[in-house]
Amino acid sequence: MIQFDRVHLRYDSGISLRDLNFRVDPNEFIYLFGPSGSGKSSILRLIYMELFPNAGEVNVFNINSIRARRQDIAKVRQNIGMVFQVSRLLPDRDVYANIALPLELLGFPSKEVRQKVTHIADELNIRSRLNHYPHELSGGEERRLSLARASINLPDILLVDEPTAHLDEISKKSVMEAICRIHDRGTSVIFATHDDSLLRQHNARVLTLDSGTIIEDRIV
Amino acid sequence: MKLNYIIREGIVGIRRSTMAFMNSVFSVTIALVLVAVGVLFVDNGLEFIGQLQADYDLEIFLENEADAGIKQELATIISEYPGIFRMDYLSKEDAAALYNAEFGEDVLSLLDDNPLPSSFRVTFEETYRSTNYIQAFINSMEALPMVDEIMFKRDLFDRVQGIMKSIYVVAAAAIFLIILSTVFLTSNNLRLMILSRYDFIETVRLLGASDFMVKAPFFLEGGLLGFIGGVFAILIISGFEFALKYFHIIDLPSRIMNHPELMIGTLLFGIALSSLGMLKTVRRMLRFVA
Ligand SMILES: Nc1ncnc2c1ncn2[C@@H]1O[C@H](COP(=O)(O)OP(=O)(O)OP(=O)(O)O)[C@@H](O)[C@H]1O
Ligand SMILES: [Mg+2]
Repeated sequence: MIQFDRVHLRYDSGISLRDLNFRVDPNEFIYLFGPSGSGKSSILRLIYMELFPNAGEVNVFNINSIRARRQDIAKVRQNIGMVFQVSRLLPDRDVYANIALPLELLGFPSKEVRQKVTHIADELNIRSRLNHYPHELSGGEERRLSLARASINLPDILLVDEPTAHLDEISKKSVMEAICRIHDRGTSVIFATHDDSLLRQHNARVLTLDSGTIIEDRIV
Repeated sequence: MKLNYIIREGIVGIRRSTMAFMNSVFSVTIALVLVAVGVLFVDNGLEFIGQLQADYDLEIFLENEADAGIKQELATIISEYPGIFRMDYLSKEDAAALYNAEFGEDVLSLLDDNPLPSSFRVTFEETYRSTNYIQAFINSMEALPMVDEIMFKRDLFDRVQGIMKSIYVVAAAAIFLIILSTVFLTSNNLRLMILSRYDFIETVRLLGASDFMVKAPFFLEGGLLGFIGGVFAILIISGFEFALKYFHIIDLPSRIMNHPELMIGTLLFGIALSSLGMLKTVRRMLRFVA
């Protein structure tokens, strides 16, 4: 489903990823684990094709990073749910409109949109917040909103970038549960974090990164 | 339906940034007022010059012996000549009446016989009005029987034609410059307006929108913007024309209200200007978004 072949990525500031090789199969749960600056977010950005490798190639759903056209990129993203490290919610739209956006872009009829949005808002416990604006939400609610938007279209892959950062234990737990529920529906999850307490909570594959290389690939 | 999204987003975009939108409408309105006033100015100028011209281009005097049959024949030949806009027959009596009106003297009282010839006054269509064409016409008329003399004030004609032509050239250049500057003015303004929505464009694209779905609402919004600007421009200009007339400053012969083609042109130019401007701006912005 996702395949990295000898991927190198260089920012202006210097090398960031070196010779990455790995693949991700359907319904896997993978932690990208590593200290700050080790390249976790960069890997996620390569997967949803916001960045392209300087050497090597990334394949996602049979779309190749070297040959991808802009329509292909859009197609790839339509099957990937993304929770960004810095929330990319639209500040001038309420929670409902934020969650509904991916469906509307695909042309779903508004009745169906309404059903799906209320359903997922129930699931993520933000139903009562649908008419609020993102800045009116607590940190945990905001993460759950991002998750709702990322998973509303039942994507094949869910990418989450530090979704539990700066949350208290209770909010952390509810976010983790939501992610696991999405995983249980058959979605592959790639979860970037530097918090090793999360790793011990359930079975998963852990890719440990250090300064842009994978130093360990294990199942816990 | 994706169309739903495009239409709603196109209209919602206006509500979300009413100030920026009105700003752009304002700049489009000014741009369109400039263009339309330019066109009207030229049109009115030409009307005024046209009034300075003689009411006919040339006069064909007939010999005294010409009888009704010959006159009828000549009239047919002249009026069937290509490019004739208008032809009037003046009988000897008409000529005498005109003489009387002009000089306050009755020719018939001085002489027993009316010495004034009958004639045809001829005006050419605008597109045929060149000295060469008229000269060719004169040559073929002079060959006809019973044509005595043809009076064509060539110098005056050439001068007026020259003025008209240079007005056309200057006006075309001026209107071209005006249009060019309005395109710059508007596209600059649109760029500022879109810049504030860069985050939206980026986010929507990252959520899987095709380039088309990103651009389409902006295109629509631009069209609406141009339409509103066009309506404002027409209202402003006709208000101004009305004021000129109401305060007896000048009664313009050529007004926007009497020129539906200019109104439609203003609207279409406004719509094209801002929808295409919007499209271009968003397209440029998309280059920075993978
Ligand atoms: N846009 C950028 N321009 C230049 N350098 C960048 C850019 N983004 C990331 N980097 C560099 O690339 C390296 C990897 O960054 P990345 O964001 O992938 O790390 P990370 O593991 O996600 O870190 P964190 O846990 O702090 O989010 C870092 O050294 C960072 O400074
Ligand atoms: Mg990061």
